[in-house]
Amino acid sequence: MAKKKAQKVDESSYSMETHILYGKNFSDKWDYSHHVTAPISSSTTFRLDSVERGAAGFMQFANTLNLDPDEAPIFIYDRLGEPNKDMLEENLADVERGETAVSYATGMGAISAVLGILTRSGDEIIAHKTLYGCTFSLLTNWLPRYNIKTIMADLTDLKSLNSLITSAARVIYFESPANPNLDIIDIRSIAAIAKEINKNRTESEKLYIVVDNTFATPYCQRPLELGADFVVHSLTKGIGGFGADMGGAAIGRKEFRDLLLLYRKDMGAVLNTKSAWAIMTYGLPSLALRMSKIIQTSIKVAEFLESHPKVHFVNYPSLKSFKWYDLARDQMTDFDGNFAPGGIIFFSIKGKNADERRAKSSKFMDYVAVNAYTLTLAVSLGHSRTLIEHPASMTHSVIPADKLLEKGIEPGGIRLAIGLEKADDLILDLKKGLAIV
Amino acid sequence: MGFSTDAIHAGQRPDPVTGAVITPVYLTTTYHQEELGVNKGYEYGRLHNLTREALEKNVAALEKGKYGIAFSSGLAAIQAFMGLVKSGDHVIVSNNVYGGTFRLFETIMTGYGVEFSWVDTASPENIEHAIKSNTKIVYLETPTNPMLTLTDIEEVVKITRRQKLICVVDNTFMSPYFQNPLILGADAVIHSSTKYLNGHSDVLGGIVVTSSEIIHDRLRYMQKAAGSIPSPFDCWLTLRSTKTLAVRMKQHEINAFTVAKYLVSSKCVKRVYYPGLPDHPQHQLAKRQMSGFGGMVTAEFDSFEMAKSLLKRLRIFALAESLGGVESLVCHPASMTHASVPREVREKFGLTDSVLRFSVGIEDADDLVQDLDNAIK
Repeated sequence: MAKKKAQKVDESSYSMETHILYGKNFSDKWDYSHHVTAPISSSTTFRLDSVERGAAGFMQFANTLNLDPDEAPIFIYDRLGEPNKDMLEENLADVERGETAVSYATGMGAISAVLGILTRSGDEIIAHKTLYGCTFSLLTNWLPRYNIKTIMADLTDLKSLNSLITSAARVIYFESPANPNLDIIDIRSIAAIAKEINKNRTESEKLYIVVDNTFATPYCQRPLELGADFVVHSLTKGIGGFGADMGGAAIGRKEFRDLLLLYRKDMGAVLNTKSAWAIMTYGLPSLALRMSKIIQTSIKVAEFLESHPKVHFVNYPSLKSFKWYDLARDQMTDFDGNFAPGGIIFFSIKGKNADERRAKSSKFMDYVAVNAYTLTLAVSLGHSRTLIEHPASMTHSVIPADKLLEKGIEPGGIRLAIGLEKADDLILDLKKGLAIV
Repeated sequence: MGFSTDAIHAGQRPDPVTGAVITPVYLTTTYHQEELGVNKGYEYGRLHNLTREALEKNVAALEKGKYGIAFSSGLAAIQAFMGLVKSGDHVIVSNNVYGGTFRLFETIMTGYGVEFSWVDTASPENIEHAIKSNTKIVYLETPTNPMLTLTDIEEVVKITRRQKLICVVDNTFMSPYFQNPLILGADAVIHSSTKYLNGHSDVLGGIVVTSSEIIHDRLRYMQKAAGSIPSPFDCWLTLRSTKTLAVRMKQHEINAFTVAKYLVSSKCVKRVYYPGLPDHPQHQLAKRQMSGFGGMVTAEFDSFEMAKSLLKRLRIFALAESLGGVESLVCHPASMTHASVPREVREKFGLTDSVLRFSVGIEDADDLVQDLDNAIK
């Protein structure tokens, strides 16, 4: 069935917007292609008809480079792999223009896995100074226990990058746009620097670029096309899209699939099948539809905020005033090449100093938490509802207050993750909140 | 195969494609057809669903029948079953069935010209007397809800076979673990699978089991044509529950016995209805016809005020409709499950305002007794 259909249709002539609806709709991973909506795999273990088949299954697991990619895998146990995750992974790899994807229980599970397979004791990671709080904590609290050191750098300025790359450096890690302040990092230029360095390095010494693409989603940016080696995602956010399921993914070249699978098997951050199914059935297929609407709304909201007299600054890539406007315009594009500035806005309210700005932001958020219909005070992003939060006291609270500015985070900064509401309704609630500060 | 072996395996062979030991939740509503008239036997979710099929086969095996036909609720199953009769037909019903069955028959089915006679089937000769030339079905519930009156299925079957009538039994109260009406000769069994079959108060469902091809074909047609089908996810959850039916039922019975004995000893209880008690008027029939006495206990208290104050003071028993869950529930049938039955009708079979119905869960029996004792004091 699967092959018959694949022969009939040349998938490459269709747009990505259509592709994410169908994905690899005729997957060989599970022959339920006559079910128009896939079943939810609900078994933790799989019957192996014979010891021989069992042995073959264990031999094939994480040995994908030597396997015929069209052959149906032998499933053994959910933690090793099962059909729903495999199908989701095929679709995620496709949409990020990668060769392979491996899913994890959460975004942090995916980040740990990529860093876990690329580094060992004595290695170094160079990371952008502005990062999601838990990634920052992983790099500074946990990896040092294994003698893996992270050098925090300002990757928006590449002049000094070369001098930071020692022979122990294995990974350049960043988010672009960065969480929460939307710093934009030039992926192509960093890729060029890494390429140059790797010319003189052996296979085991290579330097890899890992980009957390959660803020942009593949609709707005495909880092692998720009030269990155790995993309990581929190599927909980824009790709999942409804705040109903947690998940993570690492996407890259197929030579890394086996290591990523082995890491997942042994560390155990396995995406559950019901979430994999929901993300595959509801999240990813609606990504283009949701993101195109979210971008339109975000542009209106960012312009409103920028024009408001009480607003100190607004970081949003489509604004002409945005510090990295040209770079963002160049590397953040939708599948057709149009500028796609994403759905996250970072802004602050005016005040005499940082303390006053922070106090006013708190007052604003406390007001909207109770009085706004559309703005929900909550962490997370990429939700159907617009979420508002205060990074300094929530997502980035791991960073000491006196280090916030050093990390590029305005202490009074407010992160707004735009949802699917009508733009005018969001503006109405923002207006009411700003009126009281 | 033994009951528990069937409960765990029947209808649930490993997935043919992957070998998955547990049946997947098959969610597709439609199936891709290879060409006009060529498909794998699956066309549309209302007609065919693999998870539903697994549940149907599973419960059919537990009820010792050939076919199971699943519906979205117990009442949907009963309504579909009534697809066997048409305008002008006559149905004989136990006079003390679930209030919803009474409501469906009296307020809806009569409107389509179906005639019902309500008789005390505890004495099977009453059925004999009610039979008319247009009688098609004898509809039993044994034990009844909530008075736990039994009907001798074998005796009724002697009549229905002689008269060529269909005998159907609502077996919700006993579950297939304690009673198999098909073995006793009934033509079909109906369950509200919301109750003991699912057992965790989180899924609504109904199912009909039969070995008769004629009944099966009509019910399958009703499932397709009227469309009250259960969701794949609900079928999957119910399948998960039937696996523990045996262990749950054993504990329900132990706890129900303990509660019944406590109520008998209590000064403010007029009468306790539980088929396991030797003074239950049909105790001998219960021992013959059922392999256990179930988890339902009904008691008449001294007064409505007494019953009412008990409901307010119970802490573990939750005041709620439904039954058969792992958690203990108590209800006031006169105003809740049987509110649709007129007072004069219900009082005739003993259902006064002072009656409470206990669905005894599988908590620690000592805690349940303690809860009752605290409330009664």
